[in-house]
Amino acid sequence: MLCGKIKRCLLPAAGLAVLAAPAGAAEKPWAERSGAVGIVNEMPSGRLSKPELDKLVAAGEKLFTAKFTTVEGAGRPMATQAIIPTKRKAASSKMFNRLPGMDAAACSACHNEPTIGGAGDFVTNVFLSEGFNNADFDTTDPQFSNERGTNHLFGAGLIELLAREMSADLARQRKKALAAAANGNDPVRVRLASKGVGFGYLTAQPDGLVDLSEIEGLDADLVIRPFSQKGVMTSLRQFTVNAANHHHGMQAVERFSARWTGEEDFDEDGHSDEIGAADVSALVAWQATLPAPTIEQPKDAGWAAAARIGEENFTNFGCSNCHIKELPLKSLGFEDPGPFDVSGTLNATQVQQTATYDLALLQWAKDLRRNEQGDIMVPLFGDLKRHKMTDRQIETLGNELLSQRFVDRNIFMTSELWGIASTAPYGHRNDFTTLDAIIRAHGGDARKSRDAYVGSDDDGRSAIIAYLRTLTIKP
Amino acid sequence: MKQLLSLLLGSAVSTSAMANDTAAFPFDIPSMHEESKSAGISHQYDGPWEFFVGGGAASFDCNGDRRPDLFLAGGTSVSKLYVNRSAVGGVLKFERKKVNVKTRDIEKVLGAYPLNIDNDAHMDLVILRLGENVILKGQGDCTFRKANRDFSFEGGRAWTTAFAATWEKDAVYPSMAFGNYVDRTAPGSPWGTCQANRLARPRLDEQPDYREPQALEPGHCALSMLFTDWNNSGEPALRVTNDRQYYRGGQEQLWWVTPGRIARQYTASQGWKRLQIWGMGIAETDLDNDGRPEYALSSMGDTKLQQLDEEADEDRPVYKDVAWSKGLTAHRPYAGGDGKPSTGWHTQFADFNNDAKTDLFIAKGNVEAMPDFAANDPDNLLLGNGKKAFSEAGAEAGIDKPTRGRGAIVEDFNADGMLDLLVINRKENVSLFRNLGSKTRWGHRPMGNWLALELQNGKINRNAVGAKIAIKTGNLTQTRTIQVGGGHASGQAGFVHVGLGVAERASIRIKWPDGEWSHQYRVFANNFVVVRKNSREPLYWYPPGK
Repeated sequence: MLCGKIKRCLLPAAGLAVLAAPAGAAEKPWAERSGAVGIVNEMPSGRLSKPELDKLVAAGEKLFTAKFTTVEGAGRPMATQAIIPTKRKAASSKMFNRLPGMDAAACSACHNEPTIGGAGDFVTNVFLSEGFNNADFDTTDPQFSNERGTNHLFGAGLIELLAREMSADLARQRKKALAAAANGNDPVRVRLASKGVGFGYLTAQPDGLVDLSEIEGLDADLVIRPFSQKGVMTSLRQFTVNAANHHHGMQAVERFSARWTGEEDFDEDGHSDEIGAADVSALVAWQATLPAPTIEQPKDAGWAAAARIGEENFTNFGCSNCHIKELPLKSLGFEDPGPFDVSGTLNATQVQQTATYDLALLQWAKDLRRNEQGDIMVPLFGDLKRHKMTDRQIETLGNELLSQRFVDRNIFMTSELWGIASTAPYGHRNDFTTLDAIIRAHGGDARKSRDAYVGSDDDGRSAIIAYLRTLTIKP
Repeated sequence: MKQLLSLLLGSAVSTSAMANDTAAFPFDIPSMHEESKSAGISHQYDGPWEFFVGGGAASFDCNGDRRPDLFLAGGTSVSKLYVNRSAVGGVLKFERKKVNVKTRDIEKVLGAYPLNIDNDAHMDLVILRLGENVILKGQGDCTFRKANRDFSFEGGRAWTTAFAATWEKDAVYPSMAFGNYVDRTAPGSPWGTCQANRLARPRLDEQPDYREPQALEPGHCALSMLFTDWNNSGEPALRVTNDRQYYRGGQEQLWWVTPGRIARQYTASQGWKRLQIWGMGIAETDLDNDGRPEYALSSMGDTKLQQLDEEADEDRPVYKDVAWSKGLTAHRPYAGGDGKPSTGWHTQFADFNNDAKTDLFIAKGNVEAMPDFAANDPDNLLLGNGKKAFSEAGAEAGIDKPTRGRGAIVEDFNADGMLDLLVINRKENVSLFRNLGSKTRWGHRPMGNWLALELQNGKINRNAVGAKIAIKTGNLTQTRTIQVGGGHASGQAGFVHVGLGVAERASIRIKWPDGEWSHQYRVFANNFVVVRKNSREPLYWYPPGK
C-alpha cells in the first residue's frame, strides 16, 4: 500500500486511529490536562494522503489550541526562555511572567485574530531578552528586552517553501561562483538573486574562500530565515520548538532531551520529554497548511475604485519594490523536517525518512494563480529580505537597543502584507493603530517610498489604504 | 599491603561504576569506522628499543587545498606522506606521494610537527629523529627541501622524542624546543642518562637562524612538551612531561621562557610540586573556562589531569591532580579483559560528538612486551558527560582495537564537520577511523553543530600560533588555543574544530598572538570560517564539491 506513513494508516477503518490516544485519556474526563500532548505517537513519514494529512492537521490544531497544564509539563521552573537550553540560576517564583515568560497557556492565546493562527493585539506582545539568558525582568525598558507583536501564520507553509527554494538558489549560485573561480583561477564576483530578489554580491576565490561582505538582507550562510519580525527563524519547526519552551514551558524532545542537555527533565518540573517530535510535526503541519490570505474585492464601489488606484500607487510609490506582490514557487511539497534546520531542531538528516505535506491537496492552494511556467504565484507582498528601516530623520522603528540574533536594532524583515487588513495594530511592536501611521514610520531603505506616500495628496494616500485594506484573512 | 588491597579494590569498584555510567551516557556517541586499508594507507611504525617510543604523525595542508594531508613517522621503516583525496562527507581516501628528500632524512623518524618557520606561504615540517633532526621547508604541491643549513639549524645526534614551538614576543620566527630521551652513549645508559633538551631561538630578524641553542638542563627523558600560557600572562612557559622509567631524581618540568633571557626551570620554592610519572603525552584544555588551562598527562597506569591549585598565583604554578574526580584516570583497559594497568601515549582534547563538551582521546598500547602492563590495551575515548566529568565510550565508538597505539591525529579528514581519528600503531598498520555520526536503528545521523576556524595572523606567525579563541553560544564560552607541540610526537595544523551542540550561531573573539583582542565575529554553525587579523568580517571556506 503506497501510503505515506503515519504508520497506522496501514490499519483499516480504525486507521482513523492515526492519532494515538492522547496521554491521560484513561483518566477522568475532568482531568486537568489539555488532552493534546502525545496526541501523535508516530513520526509521519513519506508523502501523506489527503486523509492522513487532514488527520495530522487536526491533531496540530488540537495542540495549537491546547491550554497546556502543569500536569503535562507546562512551566519551566529551572529553565529560561533562551533558544539554547539554559538553566536559571534560581527557580522562578512565578509560573507565568509577562516578560521572561512563560506567558501563555496556549499558542492560540495570542495567535487568534481574526481567527486561530492569526495575529494578536498589543496585549499579546512578547519579549525577547537576547543576551540576558538568566534574568527575570521587571521592566519593559528596551535596553533589556525587545518587544514583538504577534504575527499571523496564514500562508506560513508557502512562506517557508519560498524561503527554502531561495536558499537553495543562493547556495547553487555560491557553488557555481566557486567552481568558476577555481576553473579560471581568478576571483569571481556574482550577484546573488532569487525569484527576482537581489541579496547583494559575493566574491568567490579560487581557493574556495568566499567574501560575504557585500551581501544584503540575509545571513552569511545564505539561508533565508523567513520567520519572526527580524527574519531570524529558519522554519515553522524551529519557531514551534522555540515558542513551546518560551511561551509555555513545554520543552521539545528534539532540543531539550537528554541527548542534548544530559537531563531527562531539563526544566526540573517533574516532567520529561514534554513535547515529542511527532507532536511538533503535527503543529508544523497545521501551521504549514493554513490557507494563504486573500485579496478581497470590496462590495462598496467607491472602495473598489479607490483600491484599484491604490494598487497602482502601491507600485508607483515603490512600495512593491520590497512588498513584492507575488513570488513564484515551484513546488507545493512541504518536507518535514526540513532541509535547512540545524541540530536542535529536527532536520531531514536526523530522521530515517521525512514526511511530505502536499499543499496541492488543499483547495485554497489549488486556487492560487500560476504563471506561464506553471509556478504557483504566492501573493505574500514581501521579499523575504531584511532591510534597514531607519535613517536620521525617520527613526521610529529603531526604538530598541539590542540586536536580535545578529540582526541590528533597526533592521527588520519586510513584513508580508497579506492579511494586514485583518491584523491591526501594526509594526514590530504592534503599536501603530493605523496603516497611515506605520507607513509614515518607514525610514531607511523604505524612505523614498514613504516620502512618495507622504508627498501624495489625500486621495493618493487614501487609495493606498483602500488597497491595503483588501488584503484579508478569511476566518 | 592492606592499603594496597584497599586501593585495588577501590579501583575495581570504581571501574565498574564508570562502566555503568557509560551505559547511561545520554549524549551522542560517535561511530568510528576503521577504514585505513580502503583509504589507501599502508603504514606501520616499527623498530627496536629506540622506537618503543615515538610513532607520531603530522597533519597539515601541503598542497594548498586546505585539506589535511599526512606525514607518518615510520621508525626504522621509511616515513610516508599521504595526500588527502577524501570527498566531502565521503569515505576517507589518501594517496601516497613520495617525499622528495633524501631517504636518510626521513628514516629513523619518531615524530613530526608542522610549523611555518619562515613565514612563507607553505607549511614546513619539523622531523624528530634518532640522530639529526630535520627541518623540511615546504615548497608547495607537497614538495619539500631540507632546510637545516638555510636556517642554520644543527639537528644534533640525540634521540629526539618531543617538540614544541612558539613565537616569543615581537619575534619574527618561532622558538623551537626539542625534547630528548636517553643519551645512549653515556656511561650507565640507559638508566639515569637522560639527555638535555634544547631550546632553539631565532637569532636574527632577516632570516631564520637557529645557531647556538640553549641546553635545557637537566633533561629527564622528555616524551612530550608544550608551550603553554599557564597563568594567562601572555608569555608561554614550556611544560615537559618526562619518563620516570629512565631518569634518576627527575620529575615533570615547567620552564620559564622570557624573551631575551635564559629559560629557567620553575622550582619547588616557586610552588612547583614534584610529580614523577611515566609521562608520555600532554594535552591542554580549559575545562572550566577560567583562562588557566588544565593538562592531561598520559602515563603508565593512571592518566593525570593537572589543575591549578587554590594556592597558585601568577608566578606560583602549584598544581593538583583532579583526574579521579573527573573520571579521567583511564588506568586500566575498559575492554578486552586485560586487567593490568594501561600504558597511555598520545593525548588530545577535542569534541568528537559536537555536543559542546570537551572529550579526551588517549592512545594506548604496551611499550613492547612489558609483562606488568596490559597487552591488550585499547585506546580511550572519554566523552564529556555534562557533569564536569568524562565517561569512557571507546567500545561503543568502535575504537577498542587490540593495537599498540602511539601518536595520533584528531582531524576532520573529509570535511563533514565530525572529527575523524588516525592512530599510529607500533608494528601494525595505522588505524584510521571515520566518524560516521551517531548510530540509530536506521543508520547514522549527524550529531551536534560545529564550527571550523582558521586564523590568519598576517606576515609573521601566519597561522597565529599562540592565539586564543573564545567561542560563545548562549551562556557557554568555550576556548581553543593554537599550539604547536604536545600529544605524543604528533602535531597538526589547520582548521580548529569546535562543537556547538544545538547552537545555530556563535560569537567568536580572538586574542591574537600579540595579545590584541579582536572584535566579536558573528558566525553561523556548520561552516568553515577563516578570520584574518583586523578584518571586519570573516571569510567562509567551502571544500571542493560542497
